[in-house]
Amino acid sequence: MSPSTAQQGRTAAVGPGGRPATGGARRERWAGRPPTHGLAAAQPAAALAGIAALMVASIVIANPIQVAVVLGIILLVLVLSRRMHAAWPYLRFGLYITVFLFIVNPLVSQAGLDVLWETELGPLHIVISIQGVYFAVGMAVRLVAVVAAFALYTTLLDQDEQLAIMSRVSFRSGLVVSLATRMFPVLSRDAARISDAQRARGVELDRGSWRDKATRRLPLLGALISRSLERATDIAESMEARGYGRPGRRAWRRGRRWRTADVLIVLCAAAAVAAVLVGLATGIASFNYFPLTDDPFPDLSDPSWLVTAVALAAATLLLPGAVDTRLAIRRRAHDATLKRPSAGTPLQASEP
Amino acid sequence: MIDSIARLDHVTYTYPERQAPALRDVTLTLRPAEVVLVIGGSGSGKSTLLRALCGLVPHFHGGTFSGHAVVADQDTRTTEPRDLAEHVGMVFQDPENQAVMVSVERELAFGLENLGLAGSAISRLVEESLISLGLSRLRHAELATLSGGELQKVALAAVLAMQPQLLLLDEPTSQLDPVSSEDLLAAVRRLSEDTGSTIVLAEHRVERCLYLATRVLYMEDGAIRQDTDPQSFAAWAARGRRELLPPVARLFAGRLNGAASADDLVALPMTVKDARRRLALDETDVLVSADVRDAAPVAPATAAVPAPGPASSSRRAHRGRPAAAVEVRHLTAGYPPDRPVLDEVDLALWPGDLVAVMGENGAGKSTLVRHFNGMARPLTGKVFLGGTEVTSMSVAEAARTCAFLGQNPGAYFVRDSVADELDFSFAALGIASAEAESTRSMLISDLDLVALLDRDPRDLSGGERTRVALSIVSCGDPAVVVLDEPTRGMDPTHKNDLAALLRRWANAGRCVVVVTHDVEFAARTADRVVVLGDGGVLADAPVREALHGSLFFSTQINRLLRRELPGALTEDDVVWTAS
Repeated sequence: MSPSTAQQGRTAAVGPGGRPATGGARRERWAGRPPTHGLAAAQPAAALAGIAALMVASIVIANPIQVAVVLGIILLVLVLSRRMHAAWPYLRFGLYITVFLFIVNPLVSQAGLDVLWETELGPLHIVISIQGVYFAVGMAVRLVAVVAAFALYTTLLDQDEQLAIMSRVSFRSGLVVSLATRMFPVLSRDAARISDAQRARGVELDRGSWRDKATRRLPLLGALISRSLERATDIAESMEARGYGRPGRRAWRRGRRWRTADVLIVLCAAAAVAAVLVGLATGIASFNYFPLTDDPFPDLSDPSWLVTAVALAAATLLLPGAVDTRLAIRRRAHDATLKRPSAGTPLQASEP
Repeated sequence: MIDSIARLDHVTYTYPERQAPALRDVTLTLRPAEVVLVIGGSGSGKSTLLRALCGLVPHFHGGTFSGHAVVADQDTRTTEPRDLAEHVGMVFQDPENQAVMVSVERELAFGLENLGLAGSAISRLVEESLISLGLSRLRHAELATLSGGELQKVALAAVLAMQPQLLLLDEPTSQLDPVSSEDLLAAVRRLSEDTGSTIVLAEHRVERCLYLATRVLYMEDGAIRQDTDPQSFAAWAARGRRELLPPVARLFAGRLNGAASADDLVALPMTVKDARRRLALDETDVLVSADVRDAAPVAPATAAVPAPGPASSSRRAHRGRPAAAVEVRHLTAGYPPDRPVLDEVDLALWPGDLVAVMGENGAGKSTLVRHFNGMARPLTGKVFLGGTEVTSMSVAEAARTCAFLGQNPGAYFVRDSVADELDFSFAALGIASAEAESTRSMLISDLDLVALLDRDPRDLSGGERTRVALSIVSCGDPAVVVLDEPTRGMDPTHKNDLAALLRRWANAGRCVVVVTHDVEFAARTADRVVVLGDGGVLADAPVREALHGSLFFSTQINRLLRRELPGALTEDDVVWTAS
């Protein structure tokens, strides 16, 4: 193809006055209004409470059926909050670890009584038992639930809002968390830039044995550390120049009113935590895989189990239900009133 | 009435573990509402001067400090920078390295929170700053998603929100396209006019901001060599440092040919408007086309950039040739896939081309050139490098054909000396020692690296880093050389050197592609310009055709003479003659 054809292909008329038409419209993205879906639309403190409850549940509960229910709630919240796409890399990582768990488990878990298959592989004695399989499945579900809860926390909560919440307790600790969160993608970008730069000078980073790849990538680590230190120094300098460290600091938060739905989320979170505590106290949240696996569905006539089940079910139903689209609509309306300059809104503030 | 906002008295400062002072006996008084432009080469002490004015030197950096610095009636030796923050605001060179928070709105509030303002006051000031720089639509955006230009505006807005009496700006337009630069500088001017704030602006691109200045400082080797008003500075520069002047001032300085009296030099124009008025009133001389590019090398005032040779681009000349150096067919690229930044782009670049790729921030310039060596993969379409589809080779394999210098030269450095870096590149490319030796000698000579060979590349200045990184990626004697914003933070002298080198490479048959916002550099260096925007190629034409008549992507000389001498882009394209 000749250049002239290339020119004909996409050469458009230059705009009025010779100024090229702008490409800014192509980069339109959400940025001018807060999120309006699911738990992302809730008060940050309420969302944090909900996520914390789910995290606690996913970490503490051992009963695989109950953990599966918790995982279902987390996935539902991710979908309702439109964060599933952002959370997918985390979930994929969890699934990889799950596969690893299935492979390693027979080598380390040999206490099951009902042996399905056993063999000698060099120095290794491999035993696959029914209990071992149950254990691997249970651990996999639990691991994915924990990873999903972490993904929910990372992708859904506005880090700056978290900092504002934490400022009431310890601003410096909150700032460290916020900076670490902000720097993680920057560090990741730096790593990508350095890798790209090395490829561009002819270094094959992606071919050969793992040993070759590791040898070639090792110098990049030094460059990355050096770059990170430079960046950390620059940011510290900028913070100092903007008054960080002065006495009398005040935390600022956008004035958002608490809504009924926000309160409901906190109540649901409290109910879920209560359910977990009751489960721990009564022992029904715990679970034994070896030497014989417990029944994941204990006697329904046991009243303590029923209490926990009812509480967990309530949390299950309420947590996603509390953040449906009605909340989003209310949130939008609320934000509209915030933008309207009327008496009492933060925009009508007094002189500094 | 306050008579000064800042005063430096015989300040000499040396960074830790350095021998030479970064500031030498600097004495300076800044008065309210002044707009002070600080000019000087790389390493001349501009940034250090700004840091001394906000107390970061010596408090943050340590080192040896002598003399007195008083800012807002507080001695910076005994007052911490954080305590000066309510009087002094500083915007640093790299906006990515000064953001603290995650979202735009919170970033603007950070400094105000530190000052201890009430929440209602913070809300109002954040809102006003967002509006003043046109950032309202990005208020909830995460900083990680912003372009360099947008980040630069956020950094400025965050400091403006604190309403400083003294605003220090360290190359604030280095990452901005011409339109965004004008917007940003207009906001700075408004601030000075409306609030009486003093602005100190360190900048290499004088054509963008000299007209704003009420005072100019020229620094060299840590000392202030000139401290005067813009007209007197122009008169001084016209006598031997014309590269420091805006193109229209150079044009009129060139007319005087060294025979001018001091009175002649005092009235050099700073803007196109001034120059137009001068031309209209002039009854003795007129400007005519010089056809410099076809006839002679450029004038000495702007250093010798060789004219394009026979290998330079001409569409007709390339017809019938077997392969373009780079060919892009129906390229759709960018993220997310449903909103690609480039949509069905076609382009062909030829051996001997020296192409400037231009366009507004976010138009897809970097995205486009990252496809040339396979660093980015097309969503749809194909890219051919020397006739071979790029996706069929790894980036490392493509490195022998296509050298790629990204926006961050520091990312290339993984060894402890420049010499080791070169050896590492030759080894990575599998180039035998005999061939390597000749290429190495050529690169050291071309890029003036002799004095740098034993130095750690991380310790070099911005311009030196760029030269070393360019040598690192060029070890394979590539047919295509791509440079993404190579002049960012580069002083005029180094810029002219780089232009001359790229021209030599193009004349030798290489295809050289430069992504740049620097219109004057593009006009002086390139022979073809590709303007991107709206997802495609808005213009692809010889440099005169592409830049002529454009409102923003155009040079000062072209804006001045577009009707009288269409196609004239630089002062070297025209000559004075008696009317």
